[in-house]
Amino acid sequence: MRLFRNSTVGFILLMVVLALLFMLDLLSGSVHISLYQSISTLFHPSTSDPQIAAILFQFRIPKAITAILAGAALSVAGLQMQTIFRNPVAGPDILGISSGASLGVALFVLSAGWIFGGIPLFSVAGSWSIVMAAWLGAGCMMFLVVMLASRLRDLMTVLILGILISGAVMAVVSVLQYFSNESTLKSFIVWTMGSLGSTTRDQLWVLVPSVAVGLLVALFSAKFLDAFLLGESYAKSMGMNLRLAYLLTFASTSILAGSITAFCGPIGFVGIIVPHLARKLFSSPLHIKLIPATMLMGAIVMVIGDLISQLPGYSTTLPINSVTSLLGVPVVVWIIFQHKKIGAI
Amino acid sequence: MKEDIYIQCKEVSIGYRERSTSSTVVKKDISLHALSGEMVALIGGNGIGKSTLLKTIAGFMPPLSGELLVRNRPVSDFSVAELALEMSFVSTEIVRVANLTVREMVGLGRFPYTNWFGKLNDRDQMIIDRAIFQTGLSGYENRPINRISDGERQRAMIARALAQDTRIMVLDEPTAFLDISNKYEIVRILHQLVSEQGKCIIFSTHDLNTSLTMADRIWLMLEDRVVEGIPEEMASAGYFESLFPKNQHLRFDQERDDFRIKRENHGVVNLSATGQELIWAKKALERLGFKVNPSLAVSQSLSPSVSPSLRRPSHPSRPSLSVYPSLRHSVPPSSFFLEIIQQPKGWNIIYSGISQNVATLEDLCRTIKKITTQPVS
Repeated sequence: MRLFRNSTVGFILLMVVLALLFMLDLLSGSVHISLYQSISTLFHPSTSDPQIAAILFQFRIPKAITAILAGAALSVAGLQMQTIFRNPVAGPDILGISSGASLGVALFVLSAGWIFGGIPLFSVAGSWSIVMAAWLGAGCMMFLVVMLASRLRDLMTVLILGILISGAVMAVVSVLQYFSNESTLKSFIVWTMGSLGSTTRDQLWVLVPSVAVGLLVALFSAKFLDAFLLGESYAKSMGMNLRLAYLLTFASTSILAGSITAFCGPIGFVGIIVPHLARKLFSSPLHIKLIPATMLMGAIVMVIGDLISQLPGYSTTLPINSVTSLLGVPVVVWIIFQHKKIGAI
Repeated sequence: MKEDIYIQCKEVSIGYRERSTSSTVVKKDISLHALSGEMVALIGGNGIGKSTLLKTIAGFMPPLSGELLVRNRPVSDFSVAELALEMSFVSTEIVRVANLTVREMVGLGRFPYTNWFGKLNDRDQMIIDRAIFQTGLSGYENRPINRISDGERQRAMIARALAQDTRIMVLDEPTAFLDISNKYEIVRILHQLVSEQGKCIIFSTHDLNTSLTMADRIWLMLEDRVVEGIPEEMASAGYFESLFPKNQHLRFDQERDDFRIKRENHGVVNLSATGQELIWAKKALERLGFKVNPSLAVSQSLSPSVSPSLRRPSHPSRPSLSVYPSLRHSVPPSSFFLEIIQQPKGWNIIYSGISQNVATLEDLCRTIKKITTQPVS
């Protein structure tokens, strides 16, 4: 019972931290907005400065919400993959799920270019089609990796395989680009340069429900993931429906990693490191606690990443992927040293 | 208690199905059964198919042919969820999950009974407590399973299977990698579960001694067939001698319920000693490759007044020499014949007419080694 009370306190604390960081994220940017201005604009949008309202509602709030969604989604996807593969360095980017999503989008955008002569990528319908292409790409890649992983017992081999697959996928994407016409290529390149800030309010109407569904499915597979901790044979001996469990976790990871990759482009390392931070903070591997903890931690980490990427004092922003990679690589090295025996998560 | 047949194999073939047409048969014509309230030890050499058989029984892989019944119902009729209510499984896999406490892991055993989110109710908590108590893990509830000893972790895995609350428990080598105390503790716990709760426990092991003394039934996997029976019948029928047909250096010791390495046979010793000295000298001589003449060793009591010189082989009228040359053992012509007599302080060794006194058992062994490694021409 002691643990439960502790984790409740932990959840509340993390939520407070997240709320504070969210506010801080709204304040930071090239245009100076004071705390008072932002609060009054948030609560009385009609009476405030229309310019500030525009900046807040059109840019900063969608960006902060995207950061929260991206952090939570990628981290929970990573957590599920680490449990399923029983590998501490598994994640949507390392195992090639994100590049699978990229391939899905590339195939969709470029083939749509051939067939329809281009599609309006930034409409709501266009957003949904892109997201679904990303889900399909991510899902196919997940399926491929699991199929190969079931034949390969060694976990390091699975990781190397994931890296090889993402290399191959990226090569295919480049080849596709080479053969596409200028206008579709341009829209694709614009898509690949996606960042947290490029998500529009309309796109949020696609991103929010997608991520919400993905996270809900993850929560509903918490018991299955717990059983996976002991390995597939134990899970089966306890009566787990393996097919249903895999289906749920595949669907969840594909939706989560696919949606974020579709709108923000590839964001590395968050999916690997955040589950470890959550495990350290809550010291329980049971997923009913670990999934909410990972969601909150992921959101916090991503908002911090966004704050750093804005380079306080400068008017330019760094690509979010560079920030997460620079912050993430040392943590991943630390994780590898912590788990000299690969396989213990 | 009425005994029910819990597991029955009728001419079952086990193995791996590859594709839809071909399959690798590991073992065929397996006919075995296990009753309620029985502890069954599955014995066989490495790679003979013990794990495959247990996995087949536990429903991880289908039998290639034949009929496998779990409580009189074909195993293929059970859904995974239904089978989990009848049978729990403990594999050889070592589970290392950071921060997972013993109690949390035992709680995972309630998987078949809990709701979609795995919430444990009061009844679940009670069953978990009982499983922890029965495996002697009280006080270890909040210890992470990656920070306890191998023996404790194995007991925790058994507690998890217990929490699953099944009539049948299948364990793949539960005593592997454990020290002798933990081995016996695991077998004792299993035995207690069988006798107190009437469970049917099937476990594979290489530990012949514990299984022959504790198990109710032996399933023995030999090269050419699979046989079953109660331990004593199996031993008296000489099945264990055929367990390792390829190994010439092993023999089954019926008194010790275990295999011994066949030693080089140097010959026969007439040993005169009493009490503890007799027991340990006999063991030492056997270790050095001698057959100790048992009739003499048991019957002969040392009389301190008799001087060693009177016990020389040249005096055939003496009782200690009456068995010389021993007819009880077929001694090769080149073998040694020794006579060893306990003295008030030390031992007297008589070998080819030479008498030699040594102070300790260690000196005795050293002298005998010297004799056996430098054979007389």
